[in-house]
Amino acid sequence: MSKHQALDTFGRSGNPVFGNKFDGDAQFRDLPVAQKMTLDGTVNKTGILLSLCFATAAISWNIPNPALMGFGAIGGLILALITMFRPTSAGMTAPLYAASQGLFLGGITVMFESQFPGIAIQAIGLTFGTLASLLVCYKTGIIKPTENFRLMIVSATAGIGLLYIVNIGMLLFGGGEGIGFIHSNGIMGIGFSLFVVGIAALNLVLDFDFIEQGSENGLPKHMEWFGAFSLMVTLVWLYLEILRLLAKLRSN
Amino acid sequence: MDLNTIFFGGLALLSFAVFFYLGKMKASKSQTEREDRIDWSGRKFSFRSCITIALAFFLILYFLNFFILS
Repeated sequence: MSKHQALDTFGRSGNPVFGNKFDGDAQFRDLPVAQKMTLDGTVNKTGILLSLCFATAAISWNIPNPALMGFGAIGGLILALITMFRPTSAGMTAPLYAASQGLFLGGITVMFESQFPGIAIQAIGLTFGTLASLLVCYKTGIIKPTENFRLMIVSATAGIGLLYIVNIGMLLFGGGEGIGFIHSNGIMGIGFSLFVVGIAALNLVLDFDFIEQGSENGLPKHMEWFGAFSLMVTLVWLYLEILRLLAKLRSN
Repeated sequence: MDLNTIFFGGLALLSFAVFFYLGKMKASKSQTEREDRIDWSGRKFSFRSCITIALAFFLILYFLNFFILS
């Protein structure tokens, strides 16, 4: 009997996305040291992805263009899906993902900045502040992710994703204002944004644990790119949610 | 340069430094040497329970919307 009650109730997963990327010693024991995933390599690759994102964001910040933003958003979505289902291609798709997300983020940031001057640097500071403080909490063992922690965070993330999809569907197919309160700047709208920021931030802890265990188990080198990619996805989401939260707070 | 830029820009730079320094260090033993770590091989993760809880989250938030609007 597992100590995770939900697992005993609902059974185990066969989903390929959460599946066997990562089967410890058995598969990867014989890899040469130079071909194994390391913490050092993953952090350096995250740095490369962040630099690419900042570089393309600077382009769309200086030349705001809806077509460029749309290209970045849709291209980023396609590249993220490819990387999720084919981690072996992460070395090529992750840098392209970071570059296309930069195009999108630069454009959207300039829109917010024109309405609320100074909001961009606040959102950037708070995003990286959250990253650093959660990294300290993870490394020192203050936050200890478990299976139930993962279940709750992944489920909450999926629930929020579903809500956003329904909202987009309602906006596109004549549902008026979509799901109203998630855009409102009232107490519920701000509460919702705080909740989403919290869930996005806790996703970082899952990314840290994935990277830590990946390097302990000596996964293949391409998983460094995959680890850096998963951090980027979470950081992009966290940045957007912080931007929305700050905008709601400042529009009051 | 205004105070807002100095404060939040400084926070971003300091956080970068913490990430690049601490990110390369191994986690403490209290983190790595425990029984209830996440099993990333996917053997324990329950997709069905994840979907059930996600739907519950969604429905709560969705109906909350109608209560707020009404």
